[in-house]
Amino acid sequence: MAGIRVESIEKTFGKFKALSGVSLEVRDQEFVVLLGPSGCGKTTLLRIIAGLEYAERGRVWIGDRDVTQLPPRARKIAMVFQNYAVFPHLTVFENIAFGLRMQKVSAEKLGAGVERAATLMHIENLLERYPAQLSGGQRQRVAVARALAVEPEVLLMDEPLSNLDALLRLEMRAELKRLLIESRTTTLYVTHDQVEAMSLADRIAVMNTGYLVQFDEPMKVYQEPANTFVGGFIGSPPMNFLRLPVEGRQARIQSLALDLPTGVSSQEVLLGVRPEDLEAHTQQQPQSFPAEVLVVEPLGPHLLLTLSFGKQHIKATVPPDFDVRAGQTLWLRPQPDRLRWLDPSNGQAIPMR
Amino acid sequence: MRSERYIPYVLILPSVLFLLLLFAWPLVEALLLSVRGSGGGWTLENFQRMAADLYFRDALKYTLLLTVVIVPLQVVMALGMALLLGSISKGRDLFLYVWTIPLGISDLAAGIVWLAIFTERGYLNSFLQGIGVIQQPQLWLSYETPMMIFVAVVAAEVWRATAIVFVILVAGLQLIPKEYSEAAEVFGATPWQRFRKVTLPLLMPSLQVALILRTILALEVFAVVVVLGGRNLPVLAGEAYFWYNTYQNPGVAAAYAVIILGISVVATLLYLRLLRSRQDGVA
Repeated sequence: MAGIRVESIEKTFGKFKALSGVSLEVRDQEFVVLLGPSGCGKTTLLRIIAGLEYAERGRVWIGDRDVTQLPPRARKIAMVFQNYAVFPHLTVFENIAFGLRMQKVSAEKLGAGVERAATLMHIENLLERYPAQLSGGQRQRVAVARALAVEPEVLLMDEPLSNLDALLRLEMRAELKRLLIESRTTTLYVTHDQVEAMSLADRIAVMNTGYLVQFDEPMKVYQEPANTFVGGFIGSPPMNFLRLPVEGRQARIQSLALDLPTGVSSQEVLLGVRPEDLEAHTQQQPQSFPAEVLVVEPLGPHLLLTLSFGKQHIKATVPPDFDVRAGQTLWLRPQPDRLRWLDPSNGQAIPMR
Repeated sequence: MRSERYIPYVLILPSVLFLLLLFAWPLVEALLLSVRGSGGGWTLENFQRMAADLYFRDALKYTLLLTVVIVPLQVVMALGMALLLGSISKGRDLFLYVWTIPLGISDLAAGIVWLAIFTERGYLNSFLQGIGVIQQPQLWLSYETPMMIFVAVVAAEVWRATAIVFVILVAGLQLIPKEYSEAAEVFGATPWQRFRKVTLPLLMPSLQVALILRTILALEVFAVVVVLGGRNLPVLAGEAYFWYNTYQNPGVAAAYAVIILGISVVATLLYLRLLRSRQDGVA
């Protein structure tokens, strides 16, 4: 068991700067998810930690060993690849045993290790099969079992669920979570799926255009995004950002005045508010502002409303039995403790005091 | 829409007819020729005459020896070259093209190139005289030095025909996703283990194709041998040629052709059996 630490990693591919000085620390036994859109550098960072790519600048530590210059085989890691990379010419048993065979462990230890990993992944009845005889989900299980069998200090996963269909993905997600809580292996997990990140992670590292944008617990990342990118990327529908005029230490939404946490020198300020944090009323309420309903989308657990407020659009969710039609005017009351204030010039959150 | 089902068959028909006419039919004719006597009845006379001939045992011996020496040498070299090419990024195409130049040279021309090196007033003797190793030009390719002829033929064949093995193996290596090698690397395999446990088994189908192709062609070796050694290094295909042309005996020539065919078939079946890739073996 060991933590991972990377320090000011820089990497370019030709003219493309993939990573611009990323530092990150994964604690021992922690499950960290690297989340970001494609091209943000998350897979490159994972591959640098694995030793499959080398950074131009920066260092990588696993536990207290500086592994920056070490080849992958000397790093005591295991990895689950996006397309599984289960060896087609080996049986499931030999696939799971691969890492142990490379370590030249004794026959009993090998058998026991394979059996333990196969049992954890519920594939103990498939050991004699070849990968060509397995379904995608079963191959995925073999790939994870192969990684668990070596009892690595650190487990790296590169979008391991992205090739599975939606239903299977949901099932495997819950299973992975159970498994990794049980095995307590330090895990770094790459995904572009924000729901996957929220559901699995102890902490989420949000990346964009080669930078680490925010690194915090899932609910913190969700409720207190560091900037407009994080607020927009995480959550479906994304966070609303309303551009509001500033009057003294208050921001004004028509008749409603909201206290700003600190003094703001600019003329305008961005209010970030999640669709579920806007309470909708058909009658005027204190602490609310009016908006006109443009679209009503019934989504099952709730209705998704698109409203117009001046020239800006705003999304809000209301209970499924809420009686509302397009064209109607609703009064929206923002939850006062769920507001996020951001600087409109750079999209960064304004620090609370 | 029903008529569209026949289109593929119509489109392959010309090539099938072509092959039947120019390969299958002559093949059957050659088989018949080899087992028909001068009177017209069935006989093994041609095979008996072939086996009794002075050159037959040497021809069989040298053909098999050449195959056994040349083919493994070519596969090992081509595999090394293909793997080297895989780790080059800049100038990869240049190496690829230079290494495949011999593909464009006919075997007769290749034989003449190597004759120009090994002949009495050739490049090798000029060079050795130039640096003072020998005083007189040496006769490398005479009936007294079959070993030297053998070496010259091996050199010419390796120079000429390694490229085809190389091309097949390069294509095969490109078909193997790099994740397999990366996975092996992450799970602790050294470069040699990666080659032995992952690359080589996954390359088996391509190796099989290359071995079958090269072995069949090696068993038919002719032009290079004739140019470098004449009949001083007899081979099966050469004997077929001499019996047909010089002795005007198509029956015995056909018997030689049938022998070559028989050995080729046996070799191919052996490769298919021994190198069966394991993942289809159980499917």
